[in-house]
Amino acid sequence: MRTWKDRMRHSTRGLGFVALVLIVAAIFGALEPRFLSYVSLNGIARHMAANGLAALGLTFVVIVRKFDLSIAGVAAFCAMSMGALIAAGWPLWSVILAGLALGAVIGGISGIAISRFGLPDIVTTIAVGSIGTGLAFIYTGGRSIFQNFFTSGITDLNDAKLMGLGVSMWLLVAIYALAWFVLSRTRTGLAFYATGENPMAAHFSGIATRRFVALAYVLCAMCTVLAVLLILAESGTAETNKGANLMMPAYAGVFLGAAIMGGTSVIASFGGILLITMLLDGFALMGLPYYYSDGVVSLILLIGVLAFSDGARGTLEALRFLFWPQKPTAKGSDA
Amino acid sequence: MGAPVLIASDVCKRFGPVQALRNVDFRLEPGEVHALLGINGAGKSTFIKILSGALQKDSGTIRIGGEDVHFRAPEDAIRAGIATVQQHPELVPDMSGLDNIFLGRETASRSLMGRIDREALEARADALLARFAVPIDLSQEVGQMSAVEREAVAILQAIAVDGIRVLILDEPTSTLTDVEREDLFALMNQLRAQGIAIIYITHQLEEVFAIADSFSVFRGGACVARMSVDEARSSGVSLADLMLGEAVGDIFPKKADPDARGDVFLEVRDLSLTHGFENVSFTAHRGEILGLFGLVGSGCDELAKSIFGVDPPDQGEIRIHGKPVSLRKPREALDAGIFLVPGDRRTEGLALSRHSLFNVPMANLRRAAGGRWGLKSRQLRSDIQRLTDQVALHPPHLNTPASGFSGGNQQKIVLAKGLYSEADIYIFVEPTVGVDIGARAKIYGLMRDLSERAAVIVVSSDCDEVHGVADRTIALHKGRHVEPESGVFSRDDLLMAGIMGKGSL
Repeated sequence: MRTWKDRMRHSTRGLGFVALVLIVAAIFGALEPRFLSYVSLNGIARHMAANGLAALGLTFVVIVRKFDLSIAGVAAFCAMSMGALIAAGWPLWSVILAGLALGAVIGGISGIAISRFGLPDIVTTIAVGSIGTGLAFIYTGGRSIFQNFFTSGITDLNDAKLMGLGVSMWLLVAIYALAWFVLSRTRTGLAFYATGENPMAAHFSGIATRRFVALAYVLCAMCTVLAVLLILAESGTAETNKGANLMMPAYAGVFLGAAIMGGTSVIASFGGILLITMLLDGFALMGLPYYYSDGVVSLILLIGVLAFSDGARGTLEALRFLFWPQKPTAKGSDA
Repeated sequence: MGAPVLIASDVCKRFGPVQALRNVDFRLEPGEVHALLGINGAGKSTFIKILSGALQKDSGTIRIGGEDVHFRAPEDAIRAGIATVQQHPELVPDMSGLDNIFLGRETASRSLMGRIDREALEARADALLARFAVPIDLSQEVGQMSAVEREAVAILQAIAVDGIRVLILDEPTSTLTDVEREDLFALMNQLRAQGIAIIYITHQLEEVFAIADSFSVFRGGACVARMSVDEARSSGVSLADLMLGEAVGDIFPKKADPDARGDVFLEVRDLSLTHGFENVSFTAHRGEILGLFGLVGSGCDELAKSIFGVDPPDQGEIRIHGKPVSLRKPREALDAGIFLVPGDRRTEGLALSRHSLFNVPMANLRRAAGGRWGLKSRQLRSDIQRLTDQVALHPPHLNTPASGFSGGNQQKIVLAKGLYSEADIYIFVEPTVGVDIGARAKIYGLMRDLSERAAVIVVSSDCDEVHGVADRTIALHKGRHVEPESGVFSRDDLLMAGIMGKGSL
């Protein structure tokens, strides 16, 4: 699908990304040697798995040019629901399936409200998210659920390793590979992108744009469920505030990745979430209080997106023009 | 005529390896309407952008009223007295015409809290309207206005600044009907009478003789000719030849042999849509191009979209290859073998920020995936390469976003998309709006080639286009179809049928 020139440009951006990751790692490593330890890297991988799944779901929504602000609420409600089912003694696999189904239903409600009935995406998902946050309290009134957690096997998702890598990381890689294949190698992927680029032209091309918008919300909610499942596995309890910390990294990862890679894609989100997770964990390790680190990472996100945006490049050009009003080589261009 | 209001000499502009303008000399007299002609890519847009401050020249001089000027931004050009109306003027649809005209300069005070003095504003508007008596209601919302009224609002907005001496109009007539065009010309005549010189870009050569005093022809980045309309008329020079640099024949392809007409591919019987059209019936055959002429508001556009399933008809029957079908959405129409080349390619046809590889297969993703799920990338690429060659996409870059092409070449991408979808009924709506003459000839030629295996329907508000390219024509007037009494429409009969609703004079 690409010419070699395009590949070059793409791989240059990719190389830049790798360089950026190495630089961030080197800086943190220099400031805090523990950052590069096995334990810390393992932690980054685990956190990246949870953050990355949420970011992947969001990637679909951003590709169809919408927003989903219900991630935290969906995560909270589904976390408590899965926790309640574990406590009720359901086998783990059925808990996961039930969680995914619940997520699909919630995502479907947002998606249909937005695509079919034309409700504004931001308002709708804030509302759905808030409802989710409220519903998270119906099981225990806000108390945490931990019964059966250690016998259910859910903690294996956090602890078990396969060839030296945590299973959660394998899960992440597998689902990203699947999403990459769908979005960049199938007609479904083309239809997703076409829906976002120009819904009218896509409709005139026979693409069921509404269906793809709704589907994006369903996939986003289901990915969010998987993300919060990993958080439950790590902490060994279900609490109503689980998932509150999923939204910011997800947005930061998707948009920083898109800014650096020049467009929203699965690969961009993967790189973006890696960078964001390294920053979050690095700051945490250095003792920066959590209430600052979100702010710092968000600031980095803004700077990153700005630095790679066309608008910023135009401003830089204008600044250059202010200092050197004319190109030294052009002759007689000024009066 | 006095001293020229604007003189450009030796203006050069280069974009990377492309020399967009080479040593352009240009002169504009006060109070003249000066047409700027040239095919897409000839450099006229670049030149206009330099005059309006959107681009900076590399070298050369521009003098306004005898003074050298150098524009770094559009504001500089406006301050020097050059106002520009873009091809698609940016107006706020929810605000009234009046508010649009004074948007951003409601008060003399520059503070954010400056109060808007409605009375003073209306007084200024009255003063403006006293100079230019446009018959439009400026208290209407722009979104409710017709195309020509919006154009008039955009022009008033441009000249509402004091000291405007030059007005640049970039293809103002491309979306106007013949009647609306006359209204615009009347406004231009008033501006001319006030001493404002107008630079006027158009692809419609007959307009040059209708409104302009003089014209310049751009070709290959240079201004190759400047003459007055009288000179051109008396010398009988062909504007199309000047633009292309070589003698061009008729831009329309040969008509089909009536004996070669094939089966009926599409039959429409008594089709109606509320607020669209009523009891429209026609047949389209393989081997011929059917022309459908109608002014804006005649229901032509609605009819085309209705057949394509965008807005399904309320009543009537559509038969494809003799079988009645019910098409509720574009997907069903595409599956039934209909492809619509939409009238507004920028919003309905293309993902502008994406390249041809993305746009061309969009209407037939099943083919792109070879009937399966995963895309057949290599096959896809070679198919698209072949199609873009076939439509003569220029420049032939598969990876350039659609927005990077001229209007004519964007239309060629839509055409390639149509070819890729392998339909056997093609409906073209306003196929050559904003398309230069070279690309137009190519597009008409492609329609003719297509008609050999498919039924081709051309829907247009350009009577000459419909008459020139189609083998058989009908007109649509106020939602009703008008057929010729004697079997075939002459050009004038077709025009009358579209404007008056009569079958013959």
